[in-house]
Amino acid sequence: MAATKSQGRSFSLFIVGITAAAIGVASFSSGIGKLALIGGLVMLAASFGLFLKIKPEEGEVADKGQPAVMRVAGVLAAFLGWVIVLFGLNLSTTVSGRMVTTIIGIAVSLVGALALLPAAANKNPIWKA
Amino acid sequence: MKIFRIASATCALAVLLLAGAGTVARADAAPSASAAELKDAASKAPTTSTLAAGDPGGAITGTVSDVPVSDAKAGLTLSDVANQVGQNKIGINFTWTLLCGFLVMFMQAGFAMVESGLCRVKNANHTYMMNFFVYGCGLFAYWILGFAIQMGGAAGSGNLGGLQPLASEHTLSLFGKTWGVFGQTGMFLSGHSYDVGVMVIFLFQMVFMDTALTIVTGACAERWKFLTFSVSSVLMGAITYPLFANWAWGGGWLAQLGSNMGLGKGYADFAGSGVVHAVGGVTALACALIVGPRIGKFNRDGSANAILGHDISAVLIGCFILAFGWFGFNPGSTLGASGAGCLRIGSVAVNTMLAGCTGTFGALLYMWVMKGKPDASMSANGLLAGLVAITAPSGFVNPISSGIIGLIAGVLVCVSVAFVENTLKIDDPVGAISVHGACGLFGVISVGLFADGKSNYGGAWNGVTGSVTGLFYGDASQLVAQLVGVSTLVGFVFGFSYALNWVLDIFLGQRVSAESEVAGLDLPEMGQLGYPEFVFTPEPAFMTATPQAAVA
Repeated sequence: MAATKSQGRSFSLFIVGITAAAIGVASFSSGIGKLALIGGLVMLAASFGLFLKIKPEEGEVADKGQPAVMRVAGVLAAFLGWVIVLFGLNLSTTVSGRMVTTIIGIAVSLVGALALLPAAANKNPIWKA
Repeated sequence: MKIFRIASATCALAVLLLAGAGTVARADAAPSASAAELKDAASKAPTTSTLAAGDPGGAITGTVSDVPVSDAKAGLTLSDVANQVGQNKIGINFTWTLLCGFLVMFMQAGFAMVESGLCRVKNANHTYMMNFFVYGCGLFAYWILGFAIQMGGAAGSGNLGGLQPLASEHTLSLFGKTWGVFGQTGMFLSGHSYDVGVMVIFLFQMVFMDTALTIVTGACAERWKFLTFSVSSVLMGAITYPLFANWAWGGGWLAQLGSNMGLGKGYADFAGSGVVHAVGGVTALACALIVGPRIGKFNRDGSANAILGHDISAVLIGCFILAFGWFGFNPGSTLGASGAGCLRIGSVAVNTMLAGCTGTFGALLYMWVMKGKPDASMSANGLLAGLVAITAPSGFVNPISSGIIGLIAGVLVCVSVAFVENTLKIDDPVGAISVHGACGLFGVISVGLFADGKSNYGGAWNGVTGSVTGLFYGDASQLVAQLVGVSTLVGFVFGFSYALNWVLDIFLGQRVSAESEVAGLDLPEMGQLGYPEFVFTPEPAFMTATPQAAVA
């Protein structure tokens, strides 16, 4: 189906919503600011509701889906590696100690980003059909 | 006796008064040497009638009479001259930073040409439009929110007048230290942020942000739904990019690793190998994993098919536009051409050129030796790889190191492209993940290795006295700080981008329909062919076959 008027309307609502929300955050101390924030968030939610409603109009997509568990595991591994680095900075006070924990953390993140998530993407790829 | 006492007192008073008057009169009669020189200089300035005769040589235009006088009665003073010197410094720096920002903005054209040139003709309009509209999406998002998050607490840049309105950083107290997390001033450039210095830094930082956003369009080209691209770009410009940029450049915790933990000068990224290119590259990886490969990219056995771009001339000319714009990207990151080490702009520019040159050599020679041909598209990517890799270390290294960094990046990009395609089975039509992700991360690490400790940007970097120095010149702790930055990019930025775009996939769907993809995105998505008068040559069967089992 591709681009449609519905897409245009939903994107416009998204833009207006995020603008109103930003105005609300910028002037949060005032009553109007709080109203703008609430209104903006409501419009954002409505825009995402519209996005979901019109999504099926796109038609059949060349995508067989990816296993959610593997995807969650990959994202969590990426974050975990970063957390390991942050805490490692405080576990050791020497440069070499911090170097080791940082490298370990990066390796854990890379497992998530370059092993788990690509494996999830290639579990049911279109080219295997 | 009484009369005598009165007369004596009167005489004494008279003497005192006369002495005081004499003292005052002496002060009036003998002005300071500097005031006298200024007055003499003012009297010798060319007169209006002299100037009216014309000044073809420029010898008498621009003199002491052009210095504004604050008090017409007092005339020109040292204070007036000092104020003008300050104005000149800031004016020079404003002009330099703005012109460099204009150059970086022009890089959008280069990215558009490179990406579209590497895609098929049936997607030309769509690819160009993504690069066109990402400018608007990013600028809008940055104006309403992103700039405040990134630079809201960045006050202190002496080159641009101090940026004092940007003095609100949200901090976190952890492990006994205070860490910057995100800024809070500058939304819509309103209130106190309606300031001449803030305007300059906004423009400069915005064009850098947009470079990061446009990188993602290359990795997802030829199958990314325009609606989802638009929403994703707005959110990246409003949240993802500004967060990391605050941590590195806006007074955030990455920059504070030096002052808080003694790790070198903190995370150092002169012009954005990490902040711009790696952020774009890891986000491109996240989106490419979610969007999936193009129909026909991989065969049933997993082997990859080369899907050729439609315009190699656009690719190569686009690369030259990018290389030209990079002269704004790197040298402009001094944020000035006067004061605080700004005279290194020549060194930074030469470092940039050299790395681009050796990057080209690295990729071209690698392809020529390994594959038998000096491949044009990989040579182009080699140039870009060198430029990306030198972006972070450009202000801290010497020319020889720059050449080495570029050469390594040129070879790295070739290896990385093959790895991403053949091992990870990720389809990246333009090599964005390798050029910007892999080489961007390499650039970040290069600071920790090659920084030679000879630069001097006001005697300190990230609030730590001294010059950025890498492992090869004696400071291993700088490498640790850089690796923490790498971890943040691979761990947090990648993870956050993946999660965000996964949510967008659930609500919007990232990918166009198989029917649109096979037909080409120009008509279904944009309503118009990129080249309506072209007669298209039919594509090979493997590019158009849509396995029924492949559609959801």
